[in-house]
Amino acid sequence: MTAVRGGRLDVEVTGARAVLIGRIDDSARLGEVAARLPAGDTVLDTAGVTFVNSIGMREWVRLIRALRARGTVTLEAVSDVLMVQMNLLAEFTGGAVRIASFHAGYVCPACGGETAPLVDAIAHAAELAAMRMPPLPCPECGAAMELADFPERYLSVLGARRA
Amino acid sequence: MEPLSTPPGKLVVAHPERKAQRALQRLVGATLSPVEIVADGPALLAAVDRDTIAIVDAGIAQTTPGLRDRPARAWIVVPGEGLAPAEAAAVDTLLTDGWCHVVAHPMPILAEELLATVQKLRRNDVFGLEKYIAWGAETRSYTLGDARERDDAVTTLAGDVVGVGLPDRVGSLVSVIADELIANALYLAPLDENKQRYRATEVRERGRPLRGRDVVTVRWATDARYLAIEVRDRWGTLDPAEVASRLVNGKSGAAATEGGMGLALAYACCNQFVINLQPDVMTEVIALLDVRYKPTELCRSASFHTFVVDTPEEP
Repeated sequence: MTAVRGGRLDVEVTGARAVLIGRIDDSARLGEVAARLPAGDTVLDTAGVTFVNSIGMREWVRLIRALRARGTVTLEAVSDVLMVQMNLLAEFTGGAVRIASFHAGYVCPACGGETAPLVDAIAHAAELAAMRMPPLPCPECGAAMELADFPERYLSVLGARRA
Repeated sequence: MEPLSTPPGKLVVAHPERKAQRALQRLVGATLSPVEIVADGPALLAAVDRDTIAIVDAGIAQTTPGLRDRPARAWIVVPGEGLAPAEAAAVDTLLTDGWCHVVAHPMPILAEELLATVQKLRRNDVFGLEKYIAWGAETRSYTLGDARERDDAVTTLAGDVVGVGLPDRVGSLVSVIADELIANALYLAPLDENKQRYRATEVRERGRPLRGRDVVTVRWATDARYLAIEVRDRWGTLDPAEVASRLVNGKSGAAATEGGMGLALAYACCNQFVINLQPDVMTEVIALLDVRYKPTELCRSASFHTFVVDTPEEP
């Protein structure tokens, strides 16, 4: 395993897999991450990404472009903040990257609690493709939670369309 | 008894539906200005003069050619049929077409936003988040002493917001909005003698004392209806028309790597985006988040407003 620390972002690279933890901002050195990953297919886990600003997003786009030129990029446990921002960009819409799972903001209509559970994009592929998020149980009261936002803000990157 | 003096000019409401006409008349009638009601584009064109503030249904706005170019004090677009939320695509089109005031959300936000907008225009009194927040709410202020304090200001603000009981989701949005607005004030507002944005490519990790025109102020407040974040610089150099086009075009792949996405990202994170400008003196950007409703009950695109203060001519 090798580690890359740039500003407020820690990246652990193990084989073809990188785990990103922290903030993707002006100080993130994502170019170094691309250099540390081998040629071929790669996996990025971003569950620990807590903040992304516009300059960080620019660096993220460059990283994904560089990795896609070398093979398939699979994103696992994409953090809520990164997922929403990727959906803002035409670069990522229509299934340009493979997303295995992602975090999404849910709200409980019963108790008002909000949380960002992990959504398995492979197990729920059919629902997500139809622009529907799976109902998930509230960790506080057990009631069925619903997505706290427009499905388009999470699912455009999966190539989802409204039925 | 003589009435107190009121600013000159009338308000004209243009909407095809009688029920919506009545609602809008009551709303803007609260300003105690004369209100004229019309039902279509040709009648609107006939009613508007240079002192008019026109409140126009989105459908009429999009189907009446040259409307926005007609001389008037201001043109304000409101959601179309039944005062439901505007379609996000319609908001994008209106911004691309150069409309300075686009209200995207339904009642009661429509009422609050429209009244504040009309009064800011009538009174030529545009600055300050207090125009949007209930009187009892406290306002917290931070002044940056160095460019490197941006991260601390953002972290503190987001922590304060979560501390008052708002969800982490809102804290996360606030972080992005504040970061982008402060970065814009620090690095894009300053102009050199050749009108070049000479700090645009500055290394952002580097410290820089902020004095005089470089001072940046951040304020925020919430009244459990809205959360408002306000960032001021002392340059007054933001070009609202350019910003409006970037809000829509920021979604393109090219924009993603060319830069200039910051304000587009802040806009995407909020429900109302307000630019207050006194040219060469001050720019103030206010981002409002509605914390009452689920986002899906509102328009997917944020409202947009640009106010430019009339500067008195030199004697």
